[in-house]
Amino acid sequence: MYSNIVLSRQWARLACVCRYMSTIEGQKLPQAARSSDGISPPPRIARSPTDILQALAATVGTDPSAAHYKYHDDPYLIPQSNYRKRSYALSAEAGRKAAAWIRDEHAELFTMREWDPPMKMKTPYFNADPQIEAFAPKPIYNDESKVTEEDLRYTIQNALLEDAIKVFELLGGVDNLNDELKLSLLQLLCFYNEKEPVSLEWLEERWFSAATRERQSTTWKLGGLADKIFTAMEPKTSEAYSAIIQGMAKYYQAERAHVLAQEAREQGIPLSTTVYNSLLGCVGFLKEGVTLRVEALKSILNEMNEQGLSPNSETLSACLRSISSWGSGKALQTVALQVVAECRQLGIAPSLSAYYYLLCLFCKEQGPRIDILTNIIADLENRESIEATQATDTNFFITAMGVCSDHLQDVNLAERVHALLMKGDNYKLVGDAYKESIYYRHLVTVTCKYAPFEKTTQLLDTLVPNIYVPEPSVMEEIIRTLEVGGAGDRLADAWSQLVVFGHAKRTKLVEKLLSALCNCYTYQDDEVKAKIRQAAADILKFGQLMEEREENEDRRSPTQKLSASALSNIVELCSDTQDKLDPNWSTVENAVQRLRDEQAAGVPARPQILADLAQKAATVGKPELAALAVTYLAECGFEEATAASVQTLGVMLNRPVEEVETLLQEQKASLATSLHPSALAVAQAYHIAKTGAPLHESESSSASSESDSESSSDDE
Amino acid sequence: MSVFIRHYNPGSVYNAKIWRFASTTAETPKLTNGEDDEEFRVLDILKKRDKLQRRAPRKADVPPDRAEKMRTDQKWGDVWPGPKSFHPSSVPLPIRQGYVPKGQAPPGKKANAELMKIPNFLHLTPPVIKSQCEAIKKFCTEWPKLLNSEEAIEKHYPLEIITSDYCHASPVIRNPLSRIVILRIKLSDLKLDKHARDKFLRLVGDRYDGQTDLVTITADRCPVRRQNLDYVNYLLTACYHESWNYEDWEGDKTLQDMEYYDFDMNQSKRNLVNWHLLCLNEENNFSDEEIKLYDVASIPNATEYIESVSSLFNDGESDATLKKYDTSVRKLLGLPDKKIVT
Repeated sequence: MYSNIVLSRQWARLACVCRYMSTIEGQKLPQAARSSDGISPPPRIARSPTDILQALAATVGTDPSAAHYKYHDDPYLIPQSNYRKRSYALSAEAGRKAAAWIRDEHAELFTMREWDPPMKMKTPYFNADPQIEAFAPKPIYNDESKVTEEDLRYTIQNALLEDAIKVFELLGGVDNLNDELKLSLLQLLCFYNEKEPVSLEWLEERWFSAATRERQSTTWKLGGLADKIFTAMEPKTSEAYSAIIQGMAKYYQAERAHVLAQEAREQGIPLSTTVYNSLLGCVGFLKEGVTLRVEALKSILNEMNEQGLSPNSETLSACLRSISSWGSGKALQTVALQVVAECRQLGIAPSLSAYYYLLCLFCKEQGPRIDILTNIIADLENRESIEATQATDTNFFITAMGVCSDHLQDVNLAERVHALLMKGDNYKLVGDAYKESIYYRHLVTVTCKYAPFEKTTQLLDTLVPNIYVPEPSVMEEIIRTLEVGGAGDRLADAWSQLVVFGHAKRTKLVEKLLSALCNCYTYQDDEVKAKIRQAAADILKFGQLMEEREENEDRRSPTQKLSASALSNIVELCSDTQDKLDPNWSTVENAVQRLRDEQAAGVPARPQILADLAQKAATVGKPELAALAVTYLAECGFEEATAASVQTLGVMLNRPVEEVETLLQEQKASLATSLHPSALAVAQAYHIAKTGAPLHESESSSASSESDSESSSDDE
Repeated sequence: MSVFIRHYNPGSVYNAKIWRFASTTAETPKLTNGEDDEEFRVLDILKKRDKLQRRAPRKADVPPDRAEKMRTDQKWGDVWPGPKSFHPSSVPLPIRQGYVPKGQAPPGKKANAELMKIPNFLHLTPPVIKSQCEAIKKFCTEWPKLLNSEEAIEKHYPLEIITSDYCHASPVIRNPLSRIVILRIKLSDLKLDKHARDKFLRLVGDRYDGQTDLVTITADRCPVRRQNLDYVNYLLTACYHESWNYEDWEGDKTLQDMEYYDFDMNQSKRNLVNWHLLCLNEENNFSDEEIKLYDVASIPNATEYIESVSSLFNDGESDATLKKYDTSVRKLLGLPDKKIVT
């Protein structure tokens, strides 16, 4: 029997992963809780279709070494900077969008069975079984479309706002609709303020959409379609009033919202708690002055009481939202606490939004330090799970971490907040990419400043770069922490991180890094020292590369060049070698040459570095470099030039310092002929430093030509 | 210059290209005149070499593999949570696989198609399996206590239903093969008497496997599994009850209709009884029915004889059956054992 099945062709093509299962289906299941007789199986434990999957998913933790799973797990494709993270994710979504566009434009290709025999060709048929609504082609509505009320219902149900308006117009406007459809269209328009929302389908776009701060200005479209539909509705039901009032209140058309509410009240139309909540949220726009506003707030609450409406948690957050937006001060804070206390008595626990507004009200940056966060966190930690109920709930964690970092400066509390965010499913409350990044900025800053060093490095290891890429200001903080901790190894790595994160062009940051490297160079292991030297040489090379690119591409805004101090730091780091063949010497020469050519801003903060370099170079056997360094010192007019030139010359000529001094003092004329060109250059430098003029007055007409000849002799 | 002209001649097809050739190479002979006059110059019409040179090698600024940064105490299940094909940069193991050239090691893990081809079980390491089992334990019910052995299970759940579920990448999650239902039951678990058993076997036909004593009924004629399941149950029930039915015509079965040799119905029994009675000098006037019901157990050595005769007819003639027949007949008749003549 089995072998008689003829496999149709399309099935043979499928790659079948076949799970073989033997079941004891079809046999009676007993109803007792446990196996009653020891033979029949106990009843099945009730579970939803996805419960097992969720249980399995809960066993998987986060992997700090991997990028988010939306990116390809491949070294070439793992994004390492914020810019790349954004562009990679959005590129992938652009591809999905393109696919969706083709699917919608050529819907007929996806609803036909192409392998049908010619006679039956083009029978409408969905390839998918079961058909998934979200994957099916979306209808496109234009002026020629033939639409029915069914289409309007579909567009409203799927929140396709522009399509809904189009269908509405095609159907002939307000007059040709039944009340039910009118109401649902009005609700849709009011909810989105006649603006097409970003579809839920485009996760990345929503995640990365620039979090424009909610503008507290009237964006409600006065006289728009929603208003028209509302005026055309007769009789105006309670739902219609609710929709239009909430829409207006949401988009800050406070006055008209209150007027309409008054109108409804006069007509005896009952309003719901949510309507009152939205009215509470915008009550401040009606009045000026704190006392009047508080009175208005209280009067609305009293009205709710008269209507027999009991407040819910949204009432609380709406009140607090209003209060927190009216400024700060003792009076408002007491009112807020009264509201919270009263709601507690009614058994209403504050939601995350309510806590967010409380934090806004109490923890002002300039204000006195008030620690309400500890109690809030303690309360939240005791809750079984935190559910997101309002859009503003996502503001809580970022604000709480900001308070920990700036207001309270308490690293322990910050850790508790972070632990709370990581608990269970709570990470969904982090909001979007922008908020997430600010959250981590606060966390990393407070940890760098106040946590023990080991803890900081541990946190950085888990966060950077896959979860969070530090911004320049945070990077500065990190570099400072690493410097204090004396982690030369990590500092050397920090340079490559700067390059990868795209901060390498920020001169200030690079200079900070260089001085940090210098400060903790002396007490590092040899291996780390070599690494640091490598990093320093790389910094110089990177700067030159950038300059070349700039010249080639003719950019408008030139990047800032490294300062003289930074260059001298590079010199100090790279010259720490006894080997003449060390490749770093070329870097040193390069750096000194740049100093000499005045390609760096300012003068070195520590000229002693160059004096040491001159001596070292002379010892190793690089007299040209030594001469160059000394000449630069002398030309810049540093006091160290004299001593340095004497010592360098002493090393060069292998004579004690006193003898060299006398030599320089006395035999001015004969020096030119008897000395090696480099030594002569050093002698020149000595005289420039001493007298402000070169050795021979006759040849001193052009110091620049002199230096040119010197540099050319260096090249030989 | 001769090269130049010779190539110029061939015709209009290559004109443009040759012009290019001419324009670029016109100067080169002058420059290198003294040095390599002798060398044969290669005509490079398509300018392949130039193109290759022009293409600047792209800088590959690739971060190191993330496997290098992994801590030794990490949870591997987090790194590799689900089945996927091998990826060298995220597996911190020095794996090698592939064709081994003589005297060399097998190819390493990077750019190794062999490693990507085979399915790996990196997502199912023992700790992961353990934790997953712990996670889904809360959905499991207790195993019935008395079902502690295969025999007990077979005894209490004699009926076995086999179905298959399929999982594949396609817009369709249905697979027509999943409608097939197989029912299996041991014949000995059915309460059947001799007649019913015989009839049942005739009804079932080749769905009965004598070696394992299993009756296997497969149904695939209905489009849905549920229907097929009902159908196999119906088939089993119908066959069972039908086999207990006596139809009128079943009484008409004669000796010729027997599908096997039944000693009681055959001449041999009459002969045996007659012979036995003769030996005892008793009256012999039994009818056919009486002969059939006569208990042969009273006859010494008769059971063995009956057995050997039955097996001779049922199993066919062979050395073994014939020999058995020989010995049993000698015993029955009291003859001496066969002497093997050498």
